[in-house]
Amino acid sequence: MEYGLLLSSTPGAEGSLFAWCAFLLKKYSGMFLSATWTTFYVAVIGTIIGFILGFLVGITNTIVIHKEDNPIKKVLLHILKWIVAIYSEIFRDTPMIVQGMVIYYGLRQNDVMISSVMAGILVIVLNTGAYMGETVRAGINSIDKGQEEGALAMGMSHFGAMMTIILPQAIKNVIPEMGNTFLSNLKMTSVLNVIGVSELFLMAKTAGGAYYKYYESYMVIAIIYLVLCFVINRILAFVEKKTKGRKDYELATEYITGD
Amino acid sequence: MGEKIIDVKNLVKTFGDHEVLKKIDFSVEKGEVICIIGSSGSGKSTLLRCINHLETPTSGDILFHNEVVKNTQKSLTKYRSCVGMVFQSFNLFDNMNVLENCMFGVRKVLHLSKEEARTRAITHLKEVGMAPYINARPSQLSGGQKQRVAIARGLCMNPEVLLFDEPTSALDPEMVGEVLSVMKSLASQGLTMIIVTHEMEFAKNVSTRTIFMDNGYVVEDESPEILFNHPKNERTKEFLHRYMEAKVS
Ligand SMILES: Nc1ncnc2c1ncn2[C@@H]1O[C@H](COP(=O)(O)OP(=O)(O)OP(=O)(O)O)[C@@H](O)[C@H]1O
Ligand SMILES: [Mg+2]
Repeated sequence: MEYGLLLSSTPGAEGSLFAWCAFLLKKYSGMFLSATWTTFYVAVIGTIIGFILGFLVGITNTIVIHKEDNPIKKVLLHILKWIVAIYSEIFRDTPMIVQGMVIYYGLRQNDVMISSVMAGILVIVLNTGAYMGETVRAGINSIDKGQEEGALAMGMSHFGAMMTIILPQAIKNVIPEMGNTFLSNLKMTSVLNVIGVSELFLMAKTAGGAYYKYYESYMVIAIIYLVLCFVINRILAFVEKKTKGRKDYELATEYITGD
Repeated sequence: MGEKIIDVKNLVKTFGDHEVLKKIDFSVEKGEVICIIGSSGSGKSTLLRCINHLETPTSGDILFHNEVVKNTQKSLTKYRSCVGMVFQSFNLFDNMNVLENCMFGVRKVLHLSKEEARTRAITHLKEVGMAPYINARPSQLSGGQKQRVAIARGLCMNPEVLLFDEPTSALDPEMVGEVLSVMKSLASQGLTMIIVTHEMEFAKNVSTRTIFMDNGYVVEDESPEILFNHPKNERTKEFLHRYMEAKVS
């Protein structure tokens, strides 16, 4: 009886935190669910494309311009490196919330009718790219140069050596950082409420505003963020453990000779 | 006299204003085992690296079978697949095991089948005594073992010439022997090699020609009997003398 009441009408002014949370969650279940989904996919898509951008930035930063290269190639490489340097400086030196506003309203005022979700993804992509670029650059530089020479000396191209020898190792080294970036992006989607992305933060603001129950409403999404991040953290830890590989190896006994 | 494989013509290499190689001229014939000796900083590594174009010559040419090696990826790929290199620091691929290290070039550069790559890898790993370790990662091997794998990896390409840059200098003394004995056996099979080394005994006993370099010049280019027993040049005498003294003390 009491339960039925709790779910159909408000818990009232004297209602407990739990009662109000349960009420809001029930009343806005569809909205919270879709907001959770929005938060998740904006973060996932933004992060994945951001990683790709970050790798391109990181690789560009590690290109060595040789004196013997042809002049056109040298000029193009210098320009490319400049663009990349300016881009990553700007996005690392401004807050994401401001970037969101500038990009969203900037584009719309110039007649690019971008949706707020698209703008949100774009902001995450550009942010992730700038930060991952640094991580990837450091990851690539941490792989000893000799391995690339080993590959070059047997006839591989720079690009081939990069793709088959250096990057696989660099990626392995930056996997923990990639995980952190994804988690941080998942939480940072909350700032996208300022450009109207219907993610969790905006939802909590709406739901809380309807009953003037902000504390309870934000508690609801705090728990949703917590559960999401907790699960993802466990998954990432598992993946990281898997990529570490085995410490020992099996002797190929069939090739052991008498001497 | 055998067939000429590599010709180094008027080779000059400068780093900034530092002229490290000063008009080097010499050629390599099939079956020769050439040891290059000389004091530290004399340009031995730079010469070897220029020979396989890891350093681009400032001027002068490297000829391979009488054709100039051009500085384009296509021609470098072809050339380097015929002229292998073994490094002081091994330079094995850490993301692959021993077998994959040896199969890599055969697959990616020569574009041969997996079966062929595996057959070659096993053959050459057996030759250097590393076949039981096909599943090991480079990080799990000793220095001597790594260098033997690196040699096997070079052999898998069926190179016409194999270059060695101080292959035993990074090794603990007890591992030097195992690597030198592999190289000795390659020499006896007639593989053409250019070896930069500080192992004078090895140079004296194994090389068919010894080159003494000093300050960017080839000072002496002789048979080891003459170079070690009756050096003509004062600098060579000094170097060998200093070396003998160091060994006695
Ligand atoms: N990439 C480079 N940039 C500038 N200078 C260099 C470079 N590589 C080599 N040198 C210089 O060239 C000279 C010859 O170096 P190289 O490594 O060829 O000597 P080496 O005979 O192999 O000596 P070692 O026996 O110590 O290996 C040295 O003075 C070195 O400082
Ligand atoms: Mg050297």
